[in-house]
Amino acid sequence: MTQTIASAEAGAPATAAGVRFALFRQGVGGWLFLAPAVAFFVGYQVWPIFRVLWLSFTDYQVLSDKPAHWIWFANYIQAFSDPLMWASLGRAALFTIMFLPGTIILPLALALLVDKVSNQRLATLYRVILLIPAVIPSTLIFVLWKWMYNYQAGPINHFLVDTTGLFSLQNAPQWLGGTSLTLPSIAAMEVWWGLGYHTIFFLAGLAAIPKDLPDAARIDGATEWQVFWHITRPQLAPIMMILVVLRFGTAMAVIDEYLIFGGFNRASPTYTWTIFMYDQAFKTGLWRQGYASAIGMIGAVAMLCVMVLLLRIFRPKG
Amino acid sequence: MTLQADHLSVAVPPERQGWFARNRASILRHVAINLFNLIILLPLAWVLVMSVKSLPDAMRGDFWPRTYDFTHYSYVFERIATLPVNLFNSIYVTAGTVLITTTCAVLAGYALVHIRPRGVGIVITALLVSLYFPVRVVSIISIFETQHWLGLVNNTSGLILPYVTLQLAISILIMRSMFQLVPHEIVEAAKIDGAGHWRVLWEVGLPMVRNGLVVIFIVNFVAAWGEYLLCVTLIDDEAKRTMPVVLAAAQGGQGQWSWPNLAAVYVIVVTPGIIAFTFAQKLFFKGLLEGALKG
Repeated sequence: MTQTIASAEAGAPATAAGVRFALFRQGVGGWLFLAPAVAFFVGYQVWPIFRVLWLSFTDYQVLSDKPAHWIWFANYIQAFSDPLMWASLGRAALFTIMFLPGTIILPLALALLVDKVSNQRLATLYRVILLIPAVIPSTLIFVLWKWMYNYQAGPINHFLVDTTGLFSLQNAPQWLGGTSLTLPSIAAMEVWWGLGYHTIFFLAGLAAIPKDLPDAARIDGATEWQVFWHITRPQLAPIMMILVVLRFGTAMAVIDEYLIFGGFNRASPTYTWTIFMYDQAFKTGLWRQGYASAIGMIGAVAMLCVMVLLLRIFRPKG
Repeated sequence: MTLQADHLSVAVPPERQGWFARNRASILRHVAINLFNLIILLPLAWVLVMSVKSLPDAMRGDFWPRTYDFTHYSYVFERIATLPVNLFNSIYVTAGTVLITTTCAVLAGYALVHIRPRGVGIVITALLVSLYFPVRVVSIISIFETQHWLGLVNNTSGLILPYVTLQLAISILIMRSMFQLVPHEIVEAAKIDGAGHWRVLWEVGLPMVRNGLVVIFIVNFVAAWGEYLLCVTLIDDEAKRTMPVVLAAAQGGQGQWSWPNLAAVYVIVVTPGIIAFTFAQKLFFKGLLEGALKG
């Protein structure tokens, strides 16, 4: 108590009531600054999650007149016995496997190249060009690649059919629309989109490595590969871990791309758990949002389990 | 130093090699980087060129047009009735979102570092956890319910509320690591001089975190300008939707949505962001390095 008074003496009155008043003001004042952010965060992030968790135990249907009933685990039992649930989780995992290696390795390689550029102007120019896709909003990236992949008018098929003649108009690849090529096509687009942004991440990590370490190794006769593997790679490990876990999360929970490129055909490889949830909640029948909530929670929890596992695997040793 | 000289003497002395041989590694490096640059720029260049192609050239598919036609830009504004409305919706919703999120993030970031009221630990933990949970996807069911209850379904302004939280957590964490760069002593000194937290934040804090402000401005602009899921779920009327959502639904082909028209709209929607970023890139990279990447 005496300590509190002593530290408060500088600005506030030293009486016990004054101290209490100052503490009160500090507490409330702090929360006053936090209030707007917390209000939005709780209202549109925390509350919805708990609300969806609650809904997943009910038979809530939006377009039905009947009130919602608490039905315990019936939605979860139904979801787990539906082959579509497992297939849709598998599809999301398949996409993640296609996407994750490219979106880590390519930017890493590119960052190693750009890091060595000594001309300051060129280095800046490269960074600006690389970051251009990162400042193009998501939907506009998808619109752009919807054209690139367009069967008839897209430049990719134009190149394959008219320029090189590898394909004819009859057998040209159908990239989007739920074919077996759709997931790889979306993965390629996502790698393109994140290429520059992730490169900047790695460049920041490379800039933090003291230059005398690799230089000393080179003088001792280490090859460039040895320098990378034994010095650069361990130093970049924390950044790599964050990127792997975050991008695993985005890849498993992709939804906009599948809505735009795939639609609601249940046989399409783009019909993942996110689309399954959305389909049940806003498209099919009486909008069974109780069931949809259960699907969403299963997908989210399955993802979180793998993420925790990844965090454990990639955690720096020691 | 002697070691280095030994090492070099094995190879051909550099002064006897040609310019190309001496710079081979560097040249290969620049070629490789520019290959990546080309892959990034080519799709964008395709759209830009498409927007000034004449209609027959657009059907032909070659990269360079035989005749240029710049009228598509005026055509899309004059003939596509909903376009100015959609564009206005985008600007309005994005401006509102960026303004509110930035204000929230600055206030919260400052409080988390320099006021530290009891219980900030919970806030920081909750923010971090939200980054790893697929909140955006799962919460859509409940957000639809909330907006319905508030009477904000099919209401363009109503989009701003959920949009604020799209990047709120990351914005707060960025501002938090920016304010950690402001020494406590400066804040304490200002307070002893009689300044309240508002004045400290406004006169001392803000000028020191302006690079971080640029970062969260851009991050939130990108998020709100291109948002799809919420807009397509909460808004039914095409005239009330934002521009990117309308573009995503447009089927390229004939008439008002012919390829060059579509491309012209695309260029109009994408260019402001790229230009703004190019001008702000210096501050943006500084901000990234100072705090954003730690967040």
